[in-house]
Amino acid sequence: MKKNKTLLIYGAGAIGRGYIPWVFAPVEYDYYYVETNDKLCDLMNKNKRFTTFKVVNNQYESREVPVKYCYHLNEEIAKIPEVDAIITAVGPRNILSIADNLKGTTIPVICCENDSSVAELLASVIGNHNVVFAIPDVITSNIAPPELVAKDPLSIVTEDGICYIDEKIAWLGGNCKYVNKDELRKQWLAKLYLHNTPHCIAAYIGFIISVSYLHESMQNRKSADIVTGAMYEMKGVLLNKFHLEKDFVDWYAKKELHRFRNVMLFDPITRVAREPFRKLAPEERLIGAAQLCLSCGIIPENIILGIMATFYYKNSDDPDANIKYLIESLKPQDFLKIAVQLHTGEALYQLLLHKWESNLNRLKEISQ
Amino acid sequence: MNREQALEAAMSAGVAAGNLLLEYSDDFLRTSTKESLRDIVTDVDKHAERIIIEILKSNDSNTSILTEESGRISASNENNHWIVDALDGTVNYVNHIPLYAVSIALIEGNSLTVGVIYNPLASDLYYGAKGIGAYKNHTRIKVKDRIPEESIFGVAFSGAKYQPETRSEEFLTLERVNDSTRGCLRTGSAAMNLAYLAEGRLSGCWGKANKTWDVAAGILLASLSGSITEYKCVDRERNLVSYIATVPSVWTFINEKVKLW
Repeated sequence: MKKNKTLLIYGAGAIGRGYIPWVFAPVEYDYYYVETNDKLCDLMNKNKRFTTFKVVNNQYESREVPVKYCYHLNEEIAKIPEVDAIITAVGPRNILSIADNLKGTTIPVICCENDSSVAELLASVIGNHNVVFAIPDVITSNIAPPELVAKDPLSIVTEDGICYIDEKIAWLGGNCKYVNKDELRKQWLAKLYLHNTPHCIAAYIGFIISVSYLHESMQNRKSADIVTGAMYEMKGVLLNKFHLEKDFVDWYAKKELHRFRNVMLFDPITRVAREPFRKLAPEERLIGAAQLCLSCGIIPENIILGIMATFYYKNSDDPDANIKYLIESLKPQDFLKIAVQLHTGEALYQLLLHKWESNLNRLKEISQ
Repeated sequence: MNREQALEAAMSAGVAAGNLLLEYSDDFLRTSTKESLRDIVTDVDKHAERIIIEILKSNDSNTSILTEESGRISASNENNHWIVDALDGTVNYVNHIPLYAVSIALIEGNSLTVGVIYNPLASDLYYGAKGIGAYKNHTRIKVKDRIPEESIFGVAFSGAKYQPETRSEEFLTLERVNDSTRGCLRTGSAAMNLAYLAEGRLSGCWGKANKTWDVAAGILLASLSGSITEYKCVDRERNLVSYIATVPSVWTFINEKVKLW
């Protein structure tokens, strides 16, 4: 009988638990996890299995995943078995917190981190050149609807979507597309600007209109108009700045808007809107996207409205809950300088400032 | 006013005052000397202090305020008070050395609860409160633990009039620490020393008989960021405080070298 390959997955959240088992089928791969959430870790070890649901044609397909073991992050590294590949899905900000565990390993590491720079960073920190970037082109909720949770408390829901992985580790197999660097870059640009940018704007506007799930934000006409507008602005960037093929860009944008409306995903606003300051970083999906628009002559009216909504994401449970203190206490010109790190001479600084009052009024109007 | 509101008021006041310092940094009108040649005040200093007082009072008129230039401004609640230094690092400021800051702290009962330090030249806003944590701009901050050989430190001296007979010992201490580590800096701003400790740039700092308003906010921020901190009021009349604040790995080392108590 053919021996299964083994995977060690850092992060038993949306991607690690929900999506990866659809890429690497549990009948061919054995699953070990490392997780920081003690309760989740204990439950996985107690149940020794969980169910992941994939939405296909508006119906759920289920897959049961046996768990060999789920380790706590601080557990003795020596206890963790030799595996064929390591997958990280811990979030870009947490990547360095697992670096100590990975130092010295020569096992291939696949970074599913929604940030293309993370793989390079991790490779340099742990001294392993066998670290590759992967793009799971899916929306994966970190919770499941109550009826599924009633059947299995570890239930999780994912979309049906392709995982693009650097062809360097094509030997690992699985249900994914191994692609070269150019194709990976194209997919990443599309993911970053046609998925991440409008997706998080839908979440921040969703917060302003007080809904809980992303599809609910898209059911609001005014919110959907802003998201669609932001998508249109970013399509312009991908065509004019990065010269991607029009057919690909049109297809990708249409696909994304359709996904955001998916009523079966129950993707929480709090998950998509998480860590607003990370999304407001200079090269990231909001500020970075708006800067790109300006650099090719597109006025990012909808994106800056989304940025404005991000400033007002006041969630005391979020790691970036301090945004509340900054937006409440500082004048707009100081907030942009201190909290968003924009320079006073920049066009985007001036645009955000110029539009501050009118955008604030528009958000108030939308929220009513 | 709850603690979050107090923090927001202090942030608002600190940045407003900092903006004024920056606006007049090439254009201040007068300086005058106070207790020593290093203890000076500018007219901008006083103006910035007035702005802070206005903002703090408009948010909560019940809390008394202790400031460097105006002294104590009493209010109905004498249990809680703001401690304000509109410009820590005045010598740097008047000589166009880009290291000075606004420092604002809140004491509730006997406990430091809110701290804000704003370095307007760098647009660096350090802020924090008990139960909330410490931040610089958008990022949560924490100290960076290092061994003495990999550390730099900051020191703030006492005024020349405080125990002049022990003054030379302060220079010897600086020498002892400087020569057994990566260095010891006399930056000219005790508030910034403590802010730099809080965000992991320095491994420790200490000061002998510093003014309370120079260090109150910084001591809280360093402590919230994971430093070991000890401070004592050494002259209540003149509002003087001695303190040591370091990362855990150098605490014993610095205490043995500095011998502050």
